[in-house]
Amino acid sequence: MQDILFLEHMIPLLQHMLVFLGLAYLFTKTPVFTALVDNSLTFPDKAIIYLVFSGFCILGTIFSEPSMLTDDAIANTRAIGAVLGGLLGGPVVGFLVGVTGGIHRVISMSSIHDPINFIDLACAAATTFEGLFAGCVHYYLSRKGKIETLFSPRFVGLVALVVGLGHVAIILLFGMLAGEWAVAWSLEKEIALPMLIANAVGAALIMYMIREQKKSCDELSSGAAAWRIADKTASIIYGHFNQESSRKIAEIIQQETRVGAVAITDRNRLLAFAGLGVDHHRPGSPISSEDTLKVIRENKVIFADGIRKTYQCRLKKSCTLGSALIIPLRDDANNEVVGTIKLYEPKNKLFRKINRKLGENLAHLLSGRILAGHYELQRELRIQDQYKILMAQINPHFLYNALTTIGHITGKQPDRARNLLHYLSDYFRKNLKTSDDTTTLGYELEHVESYLEIEKARFEDRLQVHIEVPEHLLAYSVPVFTLQPIVENAIKHGTSELLDAGIIKITCVEHHDSFTLTVEDNAGLYKKSTTNGIGLKIDERIKIRYGNLYGIDIQCEHEQWTRVNIHLPKNNKEQT
Amino acid sequence: MIRTMIVDDEPNAREDLEKKISADPEFDIIGTCANAFEAIRDINSKQPDVVFLDIDMPKISGIEMLSMLDKDSMPRIVFVTAHGEYAIEAFKKNAIDFLLKPVKSERLDITLTRLKENHQPQPVVTETFPTNLTFVPCYQGERYYLINIKEIIHAFSNPITGVHLVTGDSGQEEYQTNLPLKVFDDNSPLKRCHRQHMINPDYIKYIEKLDNGLGQIYTYGNHTIPVSRNFMDNFPSIA
Repeated sequence: MQDILFLEHMIPLLQHMLVFLGLAYLFTKTPVFTALVDNSLTFPDKAIIYLVFSGFCILGTIFSEPSMLTDDAIANTRAIGAVLGGLLGGPVVGFLVGVTGGIHRVISMSSIHDPINFIDLACAAATTFEGLFAGCVHYYLSRKGKIETLFSPRFVGLVALVVGLGHVAIILLFGMLAGEWAVAWSLEKEIALPMLIANAVGAALIMYMIREQKKSCDELSSGAAAWRIADKTASIIYGHFNQESSRKIAEIIQQETRVGAVAITDRNRLLAFAGLGVDHHRPGSPISSEDTLKVIRENKVIFADGIRKTYQCRLKKSCTLGSALIIPLRDDANNEVVGTIKLYEPKNKLFRKINRKLGENLAHLLSGRILAGHYELQRELRIQDQYKILMAQINPHFLYNALTTIGHITGKQPDRARNLLHYLSDYFRKNLKTSDDTTTLGYELEHVESYLEIEKARFEDRLQVHIEVPEHLLAYSVPVFTLQPIVENAIKHGTSELLDAGIIKITCVEHHDSFTLTVEDNAGLYKKSTTNGIGLKIDERIKIRYGNLYGIDIQCEHEQWTRVNIHLPKNNKEQT
Repeated sequence: MIRTMIVDDEPNAREDLEKKISADPEFDIIGTCANAFEAIRDINSKQPDVVFLDIDMPKISGIEMLSMLDKDSMPRIVFVTAHGEYAIEAFKKNAIDFLLKPVKSERLDITLTRLKENHQPQPVVTETFPTNLTFVPCYQGERYYLINIKEIIHAFSNPITGVHLVTGDSGQEEYQTNLPLKVFDDNSPLKRCHRQHMINPDYIKYIEKLDNGLGQIYTYGNHTIPVSRNFMDNFPSIA
């Protein structure tokens, strides 16, 4: 008897459930579905959740009506709507879904048997409880930052089971209060088990479907958006990662993803910013966020979701941005972080899961681009290098000055003029011998000395030169044309502008596995130029060859001295 | 004899030119200078007829130097340059002579012949060369300085020590310069208030009118500078 009764209730419940699953499946194919799984929880999204699951509740009641005409045993699947509504929409939505379902239950039943009996009220109360309870679970999980658990079917089934038990308890309680304990007991004995099973399994299955749909939806749309962005940015950063290209990329990403704001930084500065708060996030300013610096330092993603970990703008208290996803941009070739990309959402909006996935895709994409750009840049630089070196080798200005100087002194000091011609030919002979990329420090210094002999003849007592480089360092390798252009600049833009004697000092300091060549002048007239001077070229060339630890730095004490330090590794001693 | 000076920062270039010019007995080299600071001083004191002037020199170029010379006693200028790009067209238009380094004897002879026919000063045309002073070469003891004209509060000449420039917020810095006050009259915003005094109008706090048509300028640094009767018209606010 019990078995037959169980099946009698179970079979229609399973039918209802299948109808719900079908409806839910159709629903996941509509555009409103994305709002439902975004966690973004703005008002319209909540309204949609409310409407959809209230509808489920009402359907649950309607489906069960036919059986009620003949029997009071009201097995139904109203709980599925209430539980899912609460879990997805939070306490308020859950409560409202429950109340709506409950009221509908009372109204629709009251037309069948007047007056309203205790079971109608009990059912309304129980449904409201179900919605509210599930809503509270949502609230609790989101505070704990475990919102992902909501989408676990097993968890949803468990919640449905728990609220189902609550439902049973409420009906029994109402029965006791109404003095109709026996009726309530016999009713529950008959329908409690099938309802518990059907509602738990139904809710779990629907959530399973939602999760699967959401996953493919996330991947599809983030993939699609990433492709669109890839397409639009393709031509921009090919080659250089700088402020201008970053600005365009940030704007495209912000438009495509519709996040609150997008920022791109290099290791030290904000390169570009697009979206909310653009008034005080100024490109070119140093990075202010501790999190960003941490991302760069530790090469890992930081996600300040605005709940567990809040994001507060350091530049402006009233900044509306409340959550941030910070992803490192990696140059895999050198295994270093070259910058970050940051996606922001304002305080009143939660971070869309899809955008998190998208952000990671984007960082990957941009990292790849930077890498491609890096190689392109290297190739370009190598060509420019060759060109610059060629120019320096020919150096018509220097040749002109040298010949003029020799012309001036030929009559008066013919022997000296002959010597100078010797130095000049030595200088150009060494230029010709630079088919290799590197030479020894000793050879480079001889080259510089030939050059300086001619400049000394031109300026006479207005130029003094001191070269102090330890003997044992002369065998180390340096890229060709590293020293001579810097010495030439020190004279051209430095000492030649002095009224008194100019002094050029070339020194070398040895470190553990590197050494520093220093060219110092006593003019102190160095001005940071924005153009690509030969000094910058030499710096880039050293960095490409030996890495970012090496290169050139310039110190200047205005009208006192300028020091150009050339840092080079000691590892490769040339065979001489 | 044509009294000639050579100004060039390269010693060998200077010597070479000196040797070539002095081969002509009509030219008397009365001095050579290595930069514009020395040149201004020597031109003012020696008043040469002709100056061979290098353009590319430290701190003050030959062209800038022109605005620092008194128009009334300006010598005839022959530019000497290693850089053909220096406004050759402008030189041609104003018939100011120029020589390209290295100077060839044949080309120099043409210039020398021309100078022998006429070595009167040529007016320096303002459209060709900017004549507004932006920096003023001056010195304190042995050290040379370039002072921005805007920083100068007050300039005055002393019959023995020459022209002095006063700068600094409260007028505490004092430099000497080889530029005569006349040059400031012509080429700077400084205003003459006395035969021996000039004032930068930006630093005038107020002007007090005294008896017998004299006046007194008070600067923001609370220095007082006399205004003589003849120059009262330069300051319409009290005239």
